[in-house]
Amino acid sequence: MATLIINNQKYELNLKGHETLLEVLRDHLGLTGTKTACEESECGTCTVNRNGKAILSCITLACAVEGEAITTIEGLAKEEILHPLQQAFLDYGAVQCGFCIPGMIMAAKALLDKNPEPTREEIDYALDGNLCRCGGYPKILEAVWQAGREMKKDQELREITEPLELSEALSAKQPQMFL
Amino acid sequence: MATTVHKEYVNPVGKSVPRIDGKGIVTGQTKYAFDVSFPNMLIGKMIRSPHPHARILKIDTSRAEKLPGVRAIITAKDTYNIKFGSNEYFFPHTVDQMALESEKVRYVGDEIGAVAAVDQETAEEAVRLVDIQYEVLPHVVDVEEAMKPGAPQIHEALNNIAVILPVNFGNADRALKEADYVREDRFYTPAAHPAALEPHVCVGQWEAFSNKITLWSSSQAPFKCRDALAKTLKMDLNDVRVIKMAVGGGFGGKLEMLPMDFSACLLSKKAGGLPVKICYSREEEFLSSRRKHGMIYTLKSGVKKDGTLLVMTGEVIADGGAYCSYGPTVIAAAIMRIFMVYKIQHFRITGYRVYTNTPISGAMRGFGGVQSGFAIESHMDLLAKGIGMDPVEFRLKNITTPNMVTVNKMVLTTNGLRECIDRAIQAARWKEKYGQQKHLCRGIGIGIAADVMGAKMYKSHESAGSIVKVEEDGSVYLFTGAADTGQGSNTALAQIAAQELGVSYSRIRCKSGDTEITPFDTGSFASRVTFISGNATQRAANDAKRQILSIVAEELKLDAEDLNIVSEEVINTKDHSRIMNFDKALELCYSFNYGRQIIGRGSYNPKTTPVDFRTGEGNVSGSYGFEAQIAEVEVNKETGEVKILKMWDAHDIGKAINPQSVEAQIEGSLAMGIGYTFLENLQFDKQGRPANGNLAHYRLPRSMGMPPMETILIETNDPEGPFGAKGMGEASLLPTSAAIANAIEDAVGVRIKELPITPDKVLKALQEKEQSEKKQTA
Amino acid sequence: MLLNPLTFYSPTSLSEALTLYRNLGEVRLLAGGTFLLNSLKLLKKKRIKTPQNVISLKRIKELKEICADQETLTIGSMTVINDLFNSPFLTDNFAILRTVCRNISTQPIRNMATVGGNLTCRYTWTEMPAVMIGLEADLHFMGSQGQSQIISAEEFFRNAAKTDKILTHVTIKKDKKATLAYRRVKKSPYVDIPLLSVFVKTYFTKDRFTNTRVVVNNCVAFAQRDRVLEDFLNQSPCSNGIAQEALGHLNQAIYQTRSSDYKQQMFRVSIKSAIEELIQNRNPSH
Repeated sequence: MATLIINNQKYELNLKGHETLLEVLRDHLGLTGTKTACEESECGTCTVNRNGKAILSCITLACAVEGEAITTIEGLAKEEILHPLQQAFLDYGAVQCGFCIPGMIMAAKALLDKNPEPTREEIDYALDGNLCRCGGYPKILEAVWQAGREMKKDQELREITEPLELSEALSAKQPQMFL
Repeated sequence: MATTVHKEYVNPVGKSVPRIDGKGIVTGQTKYAFDVSFPNMLIGKMIRSPHPHARILKIDTSRAEKLPGVRAIITAKDTYNIKFGSNEYFFPHTVDQMALESEKVRYVGDEIGAVAAVDQETAEEAVRLVDIQYEVLPHVVDVEEAMKPGAPQIHEALNNIAVILPVNFGNADRALKEADYVREDRFYTPAAHPAALEPHVCVGQWEAFSNKITLWSSSQAPFKCRDALAKTLKMDLNDVRVIKMAVGGGFGGKLEMLPMDFSACLLSKKAGGLPVKICYSREEEFLSSRRKHGMIYTLKSGVKKDGTLLVMTGEVIADGGAYCSYGPTVIAAAIMRIFMVYKIQHFRITGYRVYTNTPISGAMRGFGGVQSGFAIESHMDLLAKGIGMDPVEFRLKNITTPNMVTVNKMVLTTNGLRECIDRAIQAARWKEKYGQQKHLCRGIGIGIAADVMGAKMYKSHESAGSIVKVEEDGSVYLFTGAADTGQGSNTALAQIAAQELGVSYSRIRCKSGDTEITPFDTGSFASRVTFISGNATQRAANDAKRQILSIVAEELKLDAEDLNIVSEEVINTKDHSRIMNFDKALELCYSFNYGRQIIGRGSYNPKTTPVDFRTGEGNVSGSYGFEAQIAEVEVNKETGEVKILKMWDAHDIGKAINPQSVEAQIEGSLAMGIGYTFLENLQFDKQGRPANGNLAHYRLPRSMGMPPMETILIETNDPEGPFGAKGMGEASLLPTSAAIANAIEDAVGVRIKELPITPDKVLKALQEKEQSEKKQTA
Repeated sequence: MLLNPLTFYSPTSLSEALTLYRNLGEVRLLAGGTFLLNSLKLLKKKRIKTPQNVISLKRIKELKEICADQETLTIGSMTVINDLFNSPFLTDNFAILRTVCRNISTQPIRNMATVGGNLTCRYTWTEMPAVMIGLEADLHFMGSQGQSQIISAEEFFRNAAKTDKILTHVTIKKDKKATLAYRRVKKSPYVDIPLLSVFVKTYFTKDRFTNTRVVVNNCVAFAQRDRVLEDFLNQSPCSNGIAQEALGHLNQAIYQTRSSDYKQQMFRVSIKSAIEELIQNRNPSH
């Protein structure tokens, strides 16, 4: 038995040892968002995140990632609300046939979570393992860049609002006599 | 209760509205045929020939049948032995492939049978246990060898030439004599592969009680697939249902039924109705789908001193692989494209589509235009150089114009070619740069191209059909046969429907490419969808609108001719007064007194004349698209590396229904063109097997190395297209290689006539140039 | 099923791993998996027997550490390429490792592949061997009885030594005086298939090259030193035309084995450019 943590959910699976993470995701758990197009770690469509880093699930043994936080494309949207990356890919026309998109988004997420303001070269470098045969690279890079700025704004907003909440909580406890 | 309406999506044509199917894709929910899975589903595997050319003597499946877990095995004896092909209407003799071969195999990988088993391993083991005896025959891999007398005979065709297309106009020999400058060049363009990320995959299921077949497919042409399945399985069209799922790219490789589609259905029947899934491995993709014809182009042309292109003659030899597929159309398109671009009166080019014992060549994006684009646009630059004329000036002197009929009777209406060239050279600052940057080893080059919007190929018609169904609550269904393979046609057609109907785009839901539910459509190829399917959709939406307006008119005692729906409002066109809003109008339609369902239908078949393949004449398309492309490069003389500094693409698209999608298609085509120019070369070993048939060795373009691209959209508002739109999707691929080769010559003075342009070729050419210069000065 | 059935072991200590490694038959060590998994898939496709057992070294903490003291940089064999790339310890002569890491494959591979895997996977294309030979690194192995063995990188690749011990870490001596240059050429700028790499290290003494190391990987054989070029440079002053002149003093056997004209040209370009970079970046402490 192996415990896998995928998209913040625990799965107890009866694994024999030879299963790749890709097969477990697609065939055992029905999470078909992660794809494969080459079987030899060339295309990047099987990209998922492990502890926040982009990895290829087709050359990862499922048993080798037991207990580690795996995030797939299905884990990004919160109910109806899309992750800024997903929204940006829609807004900036980065989606064509879509087969490369889950892998692209996961590779981009790993980059933006560490550095929400990358240069174009840094985006290129982080996405260099992901193929897009439709050739949508210009719009994909644009979407990633824009998503990063959106994520930075969210981050800044959280930094501003959190201290405020704290001070409000404190002031609520102030006795009247200090006015 | 009315459906949610987003006001900002009213009048959506011309706006970059988000993809109608985008949310599913970015959340990983969208199902491709690759993802389809059923309980009790079997896995199918094809039985393939290990020989490039052999006669089948005996097939013994007894050992395989005994393997536990095997549920069905089929070979030719289980079929009706009916051949299928892709040009049956115009070239019946090219219908030459059996779903499962019984007499002869003609390339390594040729399908002889198929197995369905409980899992992949069992199916693969069963395939190995099938015993086949062959009489191995001599084979031929090189296309020029295949044409020689005495070469192994692959089909019935003499000298293995499946199709000869002699295209002749005017008096070429006399014109050559009258020319002031004549030159001859030979160009070589290699085989390539569409290499869509989603491989060929399908699930077939046979329903016992109704003798009906359903195929979940990754197809660009579900109706073509259905027609071929019905033909080869001897079934009625309405007993065969092909459901196109989301498609992970096609690029011309998924335009026809393959033996795997046939086998999935027949295996399911033999297995008692269990669904059977056949999914190609990447190796099988390269081996046994459809590749690009490698072509050898010999061109000999003559020009006058003043720059008039007088005559073009030559020969095209296309390596077709083991069967014909779309071969005849590819070779026709390769030769005829020039007439859309240049005015030329004297012409003689003969095309040969040749069989070899290699994987089958089909209709990869460009339909022969990529190969001819490289050859002709390079040749044009060389002609210009020969008379000392600027390549842009030379082209402007000879390009076609709006509202003209070409020598082969193509009717060009809107033609933005001149504007494309002007805008491109302006954006790229051509005059400052051409011939002026040699000291930096930089150069600039141009290539131009034109494209058709569809072509009658495998049927007498190429019509598209659409249905627009308006529900009581104001939601709208668009059923269209057009196959969205990722280019965004569902979105564009939904925009057209919304615009015509007068409502917000957010009301529309689109279902496409299900042969049982949607009307017929020939498929996604030849850039036809926006134009042809778009027109059908516009008509369907108009029909629905007229139905609604006739009821409003009846109720309010007005003249229906005076009414229209614009921006969600029924208005009186005479005085622009508001009558009622859309939801109210619908309420009326479905009210007690009327109770009429609103179902609009539209069909469109472009007014074209099929190409007469004996003479080469024919107005093959209802409209034509044009473009000019400029590349600026920098060459490293030490390493032979060519870096593209920037590319400009000015494109006459009639009207951009969704500008973002159009740009994405242009950028995507440029990327593919860059791939073909520098990277892609599908090579075959002595047995005719792909030598680099995997993604490690067949390199696809990646983000690194993509140059900055500027797209310029030119709207000539075609009178025939929906809201003025023409189609596009292939044209940007056509002149790329030539634009780059022309730029390299401007930069360092060497001419590369063979693709792909790899650093070693550039270095070699530079060395040869240096040596010849030394000899001259010595 | 992409792989043949196998039994997966994930020991948490080096001693546990070594015991398993000694006792299990048909066993392979799993580091990052970027080489092993693709091999297992390929072997299965070709119907060649695959190992029954796989021991993952991932959970062994001491194999992942990178540390540095005054004299030595120690890189645990399970250090992931990107972790090495981001390590603050890559100063002085270790900085070249950053350039090497940058040039390895693609991002997800860099997040999975390990230094140890890159060194021991016996694939002539990998990047680390040439650099480790050039930096005069020592490879530290541990056997199942707890016996340790140190083999210099040069020795390891010269003999193509096979060992039944586990690579635990690599040590490189800190060196402020060396001047280094590294070139890696791919088959074409757009393509990830390597063609060659060249690593050059020298010490400039009174404007002369001394103790020069030239390590070349022609991707056909394992990385090796070009002693002909080393000898030439060691006898040469650091002058303007020396990089060009050096091209006439190469161990041609390395450069011509199964080498197209283009590859040979790229060797010349890379070596010349690397030597020029050495001269340009002459370590000013001498």
